Amino acid sequence: MVRLIVFLMFSAWAIISGVGVITFTNPIYVILWLLSALIAVAGIFFTAGAELVGALQLLIYAVAIAVFYVFVLTAVPWEKAVKKGSHYRMEGVLSLPLVILLYVEMAIVFFLGITASPEGKLRAFIERLGNTEVVGSILFTKYFFAFEVVSLVLLIGMIGAVLIGRKESQTYEDDTR
Amino acid sequence: MKTIPVEAYFIVSMILFGLGVIGLVARRNLVTVLMSLELALNAVNIAFVGADAQMGLVEGQVFALFIIALAAAEAAVGLGIIIAIFRYRYVESTDEITDMRG
Repeated sequence: MVRLIVFLMFSAWAIISGVGVITFTNPIYVILWLLSALIAVAGIFFTAGAELVGALQLLIYAVAIAVFYVFVLTAVPWEKAVKKGSHYRMEGVLSLPLVILLYVEMAIVFFLGITASPEGKLRAFIERLGNTEVVGSILFTKYFFAFEVVSLVLLIGMIGAVLIGRKESQTYEDDTR
Repeated sequence: MKTIPVEAYFIVSMILFGLGVIGLVARRNLVTVLMSLELALNAVNIAFVGADAQMGLVEGQVFALFIIALAAAEAAVGLGIIIAIFRYRYVESTDEITDMRG
């Protein structure tokens, strides 16, 4: 019961923060709302009993990625850009039926999938060993190849970000206007 | 472990994912578009972890870890591209990037 109340609290916090992410105009406020949403999602992970994913959510998302966004927002001179509005209001309203269609499709898929769900074969192990140990043993045995591929993807992403973000000696002419 | 119904996780996940999609469509600034994408990725993680807590598996948490790692790579490359675009064109709005219009 306490777990359900805590879950509802974190869910309401996450949804309010999500609304803040898509409505505020100043990018600094938006990144603060996103940070709030990430912390709330980490709380939802903790209530679901996934300590490892929650801790990594806090460490990687709420610290590394959010600080990275703030760093980009403050390091780039945005005031040189041509100021426009912060939203496509017309397009946002016009896309609402599509989003509602997406909601209906997700609801159908999810709630059909619940009835077909298998019952847990690992629950006894989780209760005996603890969640983090089971996640680690599955990750480093069954999904070991995927783990190595992810490390390769991170390396390629790092090299690509350095190559894309470095300063060119000459800038190209804008011949489209 | 089963005091929270799995439908609650799915409803929260759906709402957050829809908010992320609306942000992707309706946002004008490039960086806030990426932030909405992060919100949608987090919603997918909630669905994975909630289904895990229901079914007593850990595969969903493993995939959530992969999603977090790929989100880090995506943020690095995406923000690098945004900085490069800003350096060459001085634009921050998504409707001014028309160089590949043909």
